[in-house]
Amino acid sequence: MTDQIKETIYQVTEDVLERLAFMFSFREEERGDMNYSDAMIASVTFGGDFEGRLFLAVSPDILPELAGNMLGIDEETTQDQQQDALKELINVICGNLLPRLSGKRIIFNVNAPQIVSSDEIEAEKQERPPLAVTRLSIEEGACDLIFFTDGEIPPDGMAESDGE
Amino acid sequence: MDILIVDDSAVMRAMVLKSFRMTGLEIGDVFEAENGQQGLAQLSSHPVDLVVADINMPVMDGVEMIRRMKAADETASIPILVISTEGSETRWEQLEEMGAAFIQKPFSPEKIRDTIQKIMGRKS
Repeated sequence: MTDQIKETIYQVTEDVLERLAFMFSFREEERGDMNYSDAMIASVTFGGDFEGRLFLAVSPDILPELAGNMLGIDEETTQDQQQDALKELINVICGNLLPRLSGKRIIFNVNAPQIVSSDEIEAEKQERPPLAVTRLSIEEGACDLIFFTDGEIPPDGMAESDGE
Repeated sequence: MDILIVDDSAVMRAMVLKSFRMTGLEIGDVFEAENGQQGLAQLSSHPVDLVVADINMPVMDGVEMIRRMKAADETASIPILVISTEGSETRWEQLEEMGAAFIQKPFSPEKIRDTIQKIMGRKS
């Protein structure tokens, strides 16, 4: 089940990065966690068929290109623009991920994304272990997604999504 | 075609506008709002040909804004395109019943162009 969830997170993230930010990513399953204290981190909580929280950590080197591509501007992006871009990115990833995990009939409430510190990831880990951690490289930088849920994902939705 | 873009994300408003300009459709005045309440206020002073809205927004969400638009004579016939991260078919059906078209993020300029042509054609 966890492998299936990780695969789904990889597929959704790769697709969203390519279509929203025009950036290609590559899986780095063997790599350890990136240094979250150096990263810019966005987080989003959600509720519906199940509840949980998703973190997206991105190394700062790739943020200017990521934000510039999303906004369609060539000039230097501000930190506010980079934060907004990262928040929108996690919002779209989460919005596309949940129906893939739970089936397309369920309405999820995805709350407004926030920029958070690495302490939030640690605090969340104290509560329960992440259900899945996926690691990607983008250009010369890194990108981790850490997915927490309260309880298990009902298996029916995964089966339904698999059939598509 | 004058447009109102309603989304709490400045990045997404910029992306939507960039995509609209890439469609090849003739774009006139563009107005922006951060939530449904601001969107309705904009509409009262700036009538537009198309409203593009997100669903999940603070203060007033997109569904409530559409409900109020449809209930008011001045705004009931304005075509509405919802662009949202939501992937639930239940939500899509709800919006369709309310008279709005729906595109899920991420989106392409081609998808926007095709959907607009469809809903503007439906209006005429």
